[in-house]
Amino acid sequence: MTTTTHGSFIIERRYNASPERIFAAWADPKAKRAWFAEGEGWDIRSYELDFRERGTETSTFRVAGGNNPFPPNTTFSNDTVFNEIIANERIVFTYSMARDGMRFSISLATVELHAADKGTRFILTEHGAFFDGADGVKMREQGWQELLGKLDEYLAKAN
Amino acid sequence: MTKRSVTHATFVIERDYAHPPAKVFAAFAHPASKAKWFVGPENWDKSNHKLDFRVGGKESVSGGPPGGAVHYYNAEIWEITQNERIVSSYEMHMNEKRTSVSLATMEFKPNGAGTKLVLTEQGAFLDGIDNAAERERGTNELLNQLATYLNT
Repeated sequence: MTTTTHGSFIIERRYNASPERIFAAWADPKAKRAWFAEGEGWDIRSYELDFRERGTETSTFRVAGGNNPFPPNTTFSNDTVFNEIIANERIVFTYSMARDGMRFSISLATVELHAADKGTRFILTEHGAFFDGADGVKMREQGWQELLGKLDEYLAKAN
Repeated sequence: MTKRSVTHATFVIERDYAHPPAKVFAAFAHPASKAKWFVGPENWDKSNHKLDFRVGGKESVSGGPPGGAVHYYNAEIWEITQNERIVSSYEMHMNEKRTSVSLATMEFKPNGAGTKLVLTEQGAFLDGIDNAAERERGTNELLNQLATYLNT
């Protein structure tokens, strides 16, 4: 029998960059690839972003040494559909994650951008159905924490 | 400018049906079957129900009270395990406004000779137009209609 674990989490953080700059880092394929896909120990096999409502984002990335905790050559893929895009304010998207072709989670994520103190109050809320055991949601939250840290570094460098 | 807000909510509904998982699953998987029970109240105007039941396939239906707002349901199917699990995401619009985006998981578990259906909905309700309590009430009504359909 299949087992499904449901979970949700909220990550809230502050960025010094404006909502416009953060939104652009999600909307522009080059920018998004830089902080979202690229990373040490990963070989990006493909990355495509069509940032509009009903548009998709697809990426495939393979373990390539370094400090990567997964076995060599394990391939992960992300398939995203954008449900709602309101420039500089909100992005709602649904996505699946697969490992070596097997989907192990389906998620609904909402990003809210609020101008605050010359920067942005950023809120990511994710709801997920995880097929790979009870700690899926914890690992996902940790993954997003790292990605949102990389977004911060990207914004600082691009400044 | 619209005052933006997002309210997040999760609800779980469990139902016992006196039919095996394959039969309950089929009521979700076969377009002609689902169209019979997955519909709004009797007095509503309705569109045709469309369902392309495969991973990546779409489902749509709309309806509303005569002369009133039209409610649109647009779904995409993300995961299918035959007779066991369906995961889909769906958007609701009221007229031209998107009111929610949800993730819905249906689990079909053998329960004696019957089925325990566990429906989990995790939703983002947008800009205060709709809410989770109303959604849960509507979902319960649909599951009542499913029970009636299965028993006929």
